[in-house]
Amino acid sequence: MMFILPLMSILLGIEFFLVFDRVTTNYEEKLKANYSILVVTKKQMDEAKFKKIDSRIADAEKIGRKKIAKDIAEGLGNTTGRDILNALPYFYSLHLNNYLDSEDTAEIEKKLLKDPWVKKVETFGESHSSKYNLFIFIKILFWTFVALMSTVSLFLIVKQMEVWQMAHRERMRIMEIFGAPMLLRSAVLFRMGIVDAIMATLLASAVFLSLKLYWADRSGIELLMERKELLFENSDLLILISVSLSIVIVAVMSVAIKSREVKE
Amino acid sequence: MSNNVIAASRLTLAYDGGKKEIIKNASFRVGRGEFVFITGPSGSGKSTLLKSLYGALVPKSGSLVVGGFDMGNISHGRLQTLRSNLGIIFQDYKLINEWTVEKNVVLPLIIAGYSSDIQKTQAQKLLRHVKLSEHAERFPLELSGGEQQRVGVARALSKNPFLILADEPTGNLDEYSSNVIWDLMENACAQLGSTIVVVTHRIPTIFNIPYRHLIIENKGIYEVN
Repeated sequence: MMFILPLMSILLGIEFFLVFDRVTTNYEEKLKANYSILVVTKKQMDEAKFKKIDSRIADAEKIGRKKIAKDIAEGLGNTTGRDILNALPYFYSLHLNNYLDSEDTAEIEKKLLKDPWVKKVETFGESHSSKYNLFIFIKILFWTFVALMSTVSLFLIVKQMEVWQMAHRERMRIMEIFGAPMLLRSAVLFRMGIVDAIMATLLASAVFLSLKLYWADRSGIELLMERKELLFENSDLLILISVSLSIVIVAVMSVAIKSREVKE
Repeated sequence: MSNNVIAASRLTLAYDGGKKEIIKNASFRVGRGEFVFITGPSGSGKSTLLKSLYGALVPKSGSLVVGGFDMGNISHGRLQTLRSNLGIIFQDYKLINEWTVEKNVVLPLIIAGYSSDIQKTQAQKLLRHVKLSEHAERFPLELSGGEQQRVGVARALSKNPFLILADEPTGNLDEYSSNVIWDLMENACAQLGSTIVVVTHRIPTIFNIPYRHLIIENKGIYEVN
């Protein structure tokens, strides 16, 4: 029974990691979709030309000039929209393949400005950089927390293995003297470990399932309210049971090997 | 298997990676159905010899064949096979304290994969034989030393082994309990035809069946007439 707690904390750590990874990937996608670089050019350009300048550019959306020209003409009063349209440069909104940091966007800006047709580039660097840094900070903080939690849990598992060894060594040695194979000698431990692994998996899954079913709607987090499945996917159950059974098998086998008779 | 259950030839047993020799160039044989006492002073190597007979000690040199298995060159799997066909009795009983008396008795049957019905029947028969029927559901630590050793003897007999090895089986027992154990072992040899090798510091004064006596002296093993 004592094996459940460290096992559960490892599984919770893994599930937190999976959820966090899904949420951040999703969030990153959203940020990427919402982020664009504004480019002003002297002549008309197409998407392929922008991609040639930098392969990280995913697409180029042309911003309609007619409305801009009309708005300006209305403001000026005595000028026709056509004159203004002829004088206006071309505007493009560029989307990127990945969510990049400010250094990368600055590099893309430089490359764009080298093109003789490009007049001006606006990367909105400051707000982008601040969001990105916060995002990275939270990611690192969370991974550190999960790593620490897993390390402490692994220590607890090692301690539990020592307890097992103390409690079962004599029985396993006696069974070995009478010719029992390793699997039979460690059958009790396997049974206990497998029950613990299943219980720990179910408990860890239950925590996240209840978050998905009862908390996500009331969380106030737009992303989770829209995509509740990020909190627990069916495949998570498979990952959790595989991890917990692997830990149990490794733990029991090492106890069984350590409890073997030393031949002289 | 030949008529010899144990055959040792120029056998040398040693500890500390071969540096400390306990038995040197000893030769002896034990035939099927024989009862053999091995005696010798403390530290002479009696228990060491017994360990080598169930594969807990690998011979340094010479040859040792037990039940047709070459103990100097036995694989892990074959050692398990040999051990599962031996009965072993220890001075400190080596019972599993968290198991009931009944379960301890049928340990060799559990290892061999016998059904629980056969286990139950055999346990009842053996516990009747060692007069412990009423203790079947108790745990070893609830029994006296003599009773625990009777459980050990019952366990050794449970699979009708071709060879029973006993290491000072009465070493921790009073005279009455010792006599009970000797009676059980006499019966096993005389009625079941088991080959029995007993390592002991003293042969019982009253022993009702024929036996051989080997003595370990100065690292050698000699027959006592």
